[in-house]
Amino acid sequence: MGKFFKLAGLAVVIALAIALAVVAGDYGPWYFAWLVGTTMIVLIAAAGAVLFDTQEPNSNGKV
Amino acid sequence: MPLIDPSVVDLSRAQFALTALYHFLFVPLTLGMTFLIAAMETVYVITGKEIYKEMTHFWAKLFGINFAIGVATGLTMEFEFGTNWSMYSHFVGDVFGTPLAIEGLMAFFMESTFIGLMFFGWNRLSRPAHLAVTYLTALGSNLSALWILIANGFMQNPQGAAFDPVTMRMQFNSFLNLVFSPDAQAKFVHTSIAGFVAGALFVMGVSSFYILRGVHKEFAARSFRMAALFGIVSSMAVVTLGDALGRLDYLVQPTKIAAIEGLWQDSNANSSAAASPWLLFALPNDATQSNVAEIGIPYVLTPLITHSESRVIPGLLTLEQQAGPRIDSGITAINALQQFGETHDPAALATFQQHEQDMGYGFLAQEFAPNQDLTQITPANHDAIIAQTEKATIPNVFVTFWAFRIMMYLGFYFVVLFAFAAYYSLRNELEKHPLVLKAALFSIPLPILACEFGWITAEAGRQPWSVYGWLPTFQAASSHPVGYMAFSLVGFALLYSCFIAAELYLMFKFGRLGPQHHEDHEPAGHAAPMFATGAADKSWQ
Repeated sequence: MGKFFKLAGLAVVIALAIALAVVAGDYGPWYFAWLVGTTMIVLIAAAGAVLFDTQEPNSNGKV
Repeated sequence: MPLIDPSVVDLSRAQFALTALYHFLFVPLTLGMTFLIAAMETVYVITGKEIYKEMTHFWAKLFGINFAIGVATGLTMEFEFGTNWSMYSHFVGDVFGTPLAIEGLMAFFMESTFIGLMFFGWNRLSRPAHLAVTYLTALGSNLSALWILIANGFMQNPQGAAFDPVTMRMQFNSFLNLVFSPDAQAKFVHTSIAGFVAGALFVMGVSSFYILRGVHKEFAARSFRMAALFGIVSSMAVVTLGDALGRLDYLVQPTKIAAIEGLWQDSNANSSAAASPWLLFALPNDATQSNVAEIGIPYVLTPLITHSESRVIPGLLTLEQQAGPRIDSGITAINALQQFGETHDPAALATFQQHEQDMGYGFLAQEFAPNQDLTQITPANHDAIIAQTEKATIPNVFVTFWAFRIMMYLGFYFVVLFAFAAYYSLRNELEKHPLVLKAALFSIPLPILACEFGWITAEAGRQPWSVYGWLPTFQAASSHPVGYMAFSLVGFALLYSCFIAAELYLMFKFGRLGPQHHEDHEPAGHAAPMFATGAADKSWQ
């Protein structure tokens, strides 16, 4: 039951995200670009940190 | 005796420019650092590595100093609209006040609430909940900028309102048009991402300081990596968005784009529009209405501005001439409006409505009419007044041209700096390239400087209008004594200089101290990372 509610919750979030994308894409393309772009920028920065941790064992203390 | 004292208008403008420029020293860091801090906390929540929590703590501390002082400098500006710009507030208060009110109620309250939870909620909230709070703080600070820039977008390209001749002010007819104005949208995205660049370079610069000194290396290297990647995407985005904003200005604010490009003659005046050069360097002379020296790249201007190969960009001299008939029409509109206000004559209303779109140009002519009274324009002085008003329809070209160029050259410099920084960081070769580290360190103030010049470009380029095409700046100010304005200007300059000194002192103090290792205050039951498979890693210490 718990899993069902989790899935239902996620489905609602996805539906809202799609609705937001459609509305923002039509009426506010720049706002939509900001939402997508900011998410991408944050994720790229986070990915860089994770990559750093995978490189670290071979870096011999070099930065 | 003239109704409006030009000295008071100039002092009001100087005061607003001073407070806005001071305030904008703090804003970009707030906009950018919040999302970078959120990215750091995201990594902490996902990996469970304590070093990312330490990074979040440290950079949030520096962000907090900047935020507190930035808020203090911003509050006065909202009151200035009422005290120094009362005519403006009367004319567009219904429209302009709405986004400002929403900013106060929604964004500002949201930001203030969540920032408290962000700083003091570490031991009271679960990790995902605290991460959500950090993202909401970032969103709140950017929403704050959004509503301000929606208000500014209305000043640049008025949408969503119409003038009511009965109430003598502009009134809302579409909230959606105001919010989704292309100018507001583009300005918000450009400004917000420019803040990201400032935040990234700040973190990168301070991290460089630690790496150069050989202290907190693990901490600094990770911070540098995240900031460099955050910055390279942001700096490329900000250049691209700036180009799109330029095209928008070409469509709705032709005088601004011509001033930005130092374009006195039409772009096809010397050869074809396609061949017209984009000026790398020029010395525009506003008095002679020409450029003293020019160095340009041919075949770049037209595609850059119009995104086409052949569309003509009108020059400032052409735009001046085109304003002539609109000034005449505007004078008719103002005279008819005045007559309608006194007599409620339907014929006067009909005349006004016929010339309503040029009303702003009539207001503009008032500055040059005898005793600032349009009814005193006679056939004898008519041509001289129209000629003077025509010249007043264009902004200060030297200021707009160079403010834009400094901002733009800095923007390209950031792309290059972040590219090298990201490349060497990804190869773990930062220590081999101290020049890049030193460049990052000494470049910390430059994005903030670029933001300041961006603001000058936008606002100086909009002149002579407060609300483009509708209300001249000359007509927008309050009527205070000159002494009052000079006194308050000096007072603001001294007070804000104290704020800057406090900010620099605290930033240098805590920046030099570096990250202080915190005791682990994790509440019971939250010791394990949310998604990490192993225990929290403290090996970096």
